[in-house]
Amino acid sequence: MKDKNTNVGSPVSRIDGILKVTGKADYSTDHPVKDPAYAVIFKSTIAAGKIRNIDSVAAEKSPGVLAVITHKNAPKLNTKGGIRGGAMLQSADVLFFGQHIGVVVAETFEQARHAADLVKVEYDQKEAKIDFEKLHRNGVKPKDKEDEKRGDVKVALENAAFKVEETYATPIYHHHPLEPHATIAEWQGENLILYNSAQIVNGAQNAAASTLNLKPENVRIVSPYIGGGFGSKGGQWGNLVLAAVAAKMVKRPVKLALARQQMFNSVGLRQRNYQKVSLAATKDGKLTALVHETATHAAIQDEFVEPCGDCSKIMYDTPNSLITYRVTPMNLILPTYTRGPGKSTGSFALESAMDELAYKIKMDPIEFRLKNEPEKDPSNGKPWSSRKVVECLKEGAKAFGWEKRKMEPMQNVQGNYWVGYGVACGTYPAHQRDSSAIIKLNREGSNVTAIIELAAADLGTGTYTILAQTAADALDLPINKITVRIGDSDLPPAAGSVGSVGATSYANVVNDACMKITDELIARSGKQFFARPTAAQLMVSEKIANIQTRADSKPMESAEQYSSHSFNANFAEVWVNQSTGMVRVKRFLAVTGAGKILNPKTARSQIFGGNVWGIGMALTEESVVDPRFGHFVTRSFADYHVPSNLDIGEMEAIFIKEDDKLANKLGIKGLGEVGIVGVSAAVANAVFNATGKRIRELPILPDKLL
Amino acid sequence: MRPFKYTNAKDVPSALKLAAGNPNARFLAGGTNLLDLMKEDVERPDELIDITRLGLTQIKATGSGGISIGGLGRNTDAANHPLVRQHYPLLSQAILAGASGQIRNMATNGGNLLQRTRCPYFYDVAMPCNKREPGSGCGAMEGINRMHAIFGWSEKCIAVFPSDMAVALAALDAVVKITNASGEERVVDFADFHRLPGDMPEKDTNLSHGDLITSIEIPKNNLADHSYYLKVRDRASYAFALVSVAAAFEMKGNLISKVRIAMGGVAHKPWRAMKAEQMLIGKEPTEANFKLAANAEMADAKPLEHNKFKVELGSRSIVRALQMALNGGKS
Ligand SMILES: Cc1cc2nc3c(=O)[nH]c(=O)nc-3n(C[C@H](O)[C@H](O)[C@H](O)COP(=O)(O)OP(=O)(O)OC[C@H]3O[C@@H](n4cnc5c(N)ncnc54)[C@H](O)[C@@H]3O)c2cc1C
Repeated sequence: MKDKNTNVGSPVSRIDGILKVTGKADYSTDHPVKDPAYAVIFKSTIAAGKIRNIDSVAAEKSPGVLAVITHKNAPKLNTKGGIRGGAMLQSADVLFFGQHIGVVVAETFEQARHAADLVKVEYDQKEAKIDFEKLHRNGVKPKDKEDEKRGDVKVALENAAFKVEETYATPIYHHHPLEPHATIAEWQGENLILYNSAQIVNGAQNAAASTLNLKPENVRIVSPYIGGGFGSKGGQWGNLVLAAVAAKMVKRPVKLALARQQMFNSVGLRQRNYQKVSLAATKDGKLTALVHETATHAAIQDEFVEPCGDCSKIMYDTPNSLITYRVTPMNLILPTYTRGPGKSTGSFALESAMDELAYKIKMDPIEFRLKNEPEKDPSNGKPWSSRKVVECLKEGAKAFGWEKRKMEPMQNVQGNYWVGYGVACGTYPAHQRDSSAIIKLNREGSNVTAIIELAAADLGTGTYTILAQTAADALDLPINKITVRIGDSDLPPAAGSVGSVGATSYANVVNDACMKITDELIARSGKQFFARPTAAQLMVSEKIANIQTRADSKPMESAEQYSSHSFNANFAEVWVNQSTGMVRVKRFLAVTGAGKILNPKTARSQIFGGNVWGIGMALTEESVVDPRFGHFVTRSFADYHVPSNLDIGEMEAIFIKEDDKLANKLGIKGLGEVGIVGVSAAVANAVFNATGKRIRELPILPDKLL
Repeated sequence: MRPFKYTNAKDVPSALKLAAGNPNARFLAGGTNLLDLMKEDVERPDELIDITRLGLTQIKATGSGGISIGGLGRNTDAANHPLVRQHYPLLSQAILAGASGQIRNMATNGGNLLQRTRCPYFYDVAMPCNKREPGSGCGAMEGINRMHAIFGWSEKCIAVFPSDMAVALAALDAVVKITNASGEERVVDFADFHRLPGDMPEKDTNLSHGDLITSIEIPKNNLADHSYYLKVRDRASYAFALVSVAAAFEMKGNLISKVRIAMGGVAHKPWRAMKAEQMLIGKEPTEANFKLAANAEMADAKPLEHNKFKVELGSRSIVRALQMALNGGKS
């Protein structure tokens, strides 16, 4: 007999892996529909003003063209319906460079793309607000963010034995999932089917329905596989509703896919930030003040501010603290959630400053952090449901060989390279969100199989697999007897795969559903059992052919009393070429405490993915805006540099054993977001340790180290 | 992308004839640059003449002890050919420092020399660019010009030529063999192949419509023992050069008897560092001498707002490349 309950916690390979590598997993525009037309979006080439005229005569006459849709003929939509960033052809106003201003629909993709090039647009241009370097000084308090103050930071900074007061700059970043945003819209009478990648399936359904003035039950989102999202498919953007509008107008299914170059200004971005961090400490390294002031930008018509000060609120014990935000509206697309929102960028500032202060005190940066470890959540006084920062740091130091690090920079020279070690911590909140699931059990002879259904999302992260594992253990069935159906708004509503709530919310509801169906089977049998039987045993003994039930799960009320977060410590070894300033990350280690690890294989991939992006933040990624035009100069992958394979050295991920039953029943904390947090600071700190150069403006390109 | 006609040339004469018959036609080799630019609506040919079936892929020794590399051979094959590896490791290194494995498998040697600048203002049809649209202005001059030229630029254009392969060929005194539309052959020195932008930045090279690159020849030399291609870029691989240096020299006793230095990422064409070369002739290959030569070369640089670092980086890169060359390519 096999061991009980061994699926969860095992490195099970993705159950959808074969489908994906054989090309059988249908992504948005892969779905077969009958007789589709193709839509191509065209975009504004000014950053602010009004469209005076759109000459689409040549486009309309171009072979194969079925429609040219602009603000002049687009149907009226509800602009407050929850689609992000505007750009839905509702007026002649242009608010940023690259705003969608029209759609060409044609028989073929090539015809549509060519016709889109033939459209001529005239504008009345206005002066645009683009130059962040100048504008950030006029920032105002965001609508939803008050200054958060504890104690008196001013006095503490004045009296500090040691302090750091520095500004850290991060550029605009783009999500750029491998699968660009794409939609098929198909009308069936009053009903609309949207094949469209969605991190929040029900959110996409509601936003589309509301914007198109439809009832949610008339809109179905189909999104079984998602080629990444990183936040850009959390909210939905103009492409979703423009596909629906186009399909309605040409009375055919329409496929609309954004080109990679269009992705830069179509689906949000991570905004540019200037973060001033002021830290004060006593002689022996006890923090006395922590100030984190963020200046950033949002769109003209809407506000979004990523919470850069979040890590600073909870990471370290300090009696005095101040967190503020100032935001400037600019003529750029609306920023949005981007992996580790606020925390990835915020940790760069905080953890760089911590490293700077440790160096001033001449204290090892790990020891400095251990000294300031808070017993409770400093921001609200709640006890931690679990917090393993100390273990992350200590185990990481041992595994990485931290003792070989020299306190002073430029001491470790290997040939033509300076070698440096850096450390930085990170954190991300852990939450469970309301979710529902249906479980169906079927029996043929003694063969019992299960189907799990919920409107969950799998971004490529492994949702299918961990849910099959969870159900297999909860039902005591082999994993290949479990079918997981997700990514469809016709299924029971579920949380999104956003903010690291996915695994926790989905696994808990699936587990609840399995328990519930077993309870129901026990009740139906009318028998008393000495040992709790499994659902499969009951199906057989009670000769039940099929049964289904639905669970609706909510977070435990008791979880409210605790502060729940995942934590990590990141270790980087960099080699800096003394002649050219090129930096290589030779080794990277992330040690993470993220509650129960459902699947060490997919968990490790998640952490590596976050780490690689964090290394990209540190060394290569940067979107540059030309302040004269408001366009991204880095508008393709030739110019916007994500790390290449050669940029990534040896990677290792260690998980600290945790099973956080105070956070939720299954003890999960989530690790989608935390993997990127603290990474760029670890690399930047290592660069300082190597070269003695403190780079406070990412990315650390070769010229900054000459 | 505009509609275009696709024609398949079966031999050199038919390719030349097709080209002569249509001033808006272009040769299609690997297509890794041309098709990209067509999708961006930068290049707008109405006919593509596929020349990948013409042959012209051979790599062979020439009678005079040099090497001839077919114009339509693939970059990967050129980089890995034993003759190239043995006698011209500089060329092999330079090719392998460019693009990615997949692109090099498609890219041809002739196409590589004719790839167009990566200036983002050239690539974006919403932007002004004198190279793409003469008279529209230079978007980069007052714009973001970190990647741009520090030598030889003009008020009209500050773009750089992006090829790595060409930098090595410039250092190796290569010549390009061309057959024109009427079937006449000519040989162009590498130094005269590409142009500085001057008043006509729309012209990258001195080729005319219908000119077909049939081969590239490199004369015999004794530089293989001391040569190195150094490429400095914003990520470890798959990025165009901020600055690159092809350095090679020959020793007589303990003195440098012949030296070749060419730079990439600094000008509208591969930049031969003649000043540095002259200063090194007859000198010992010491770090001090390398520095003097490098600084002398870079003293003439005219950096722009965002690329001032290229002067220091260029100087360091020349020194480093020469050092690596001295050590036979090992650090
Ligand atoms: C993402 C990316 C990254 C890259 N990175 C680098 C890099 O780091 N370094 C680097 O050096 N290069 C790089 N490249 C450029 C690459 O090397 C060129 O695209 C390639 O060499 C062009 O060769 P091709 O055969 O594909 O040319 P094509 O695109 O087919 O042709 C280019 C031009 O040459 C003309 N042409 C081609 N062959 C002939 C001939 N025999 N006679 C006359 N005219 C001809 C064509 O008509 C066309 O105008 C990169 C390219 C890409 C897409």
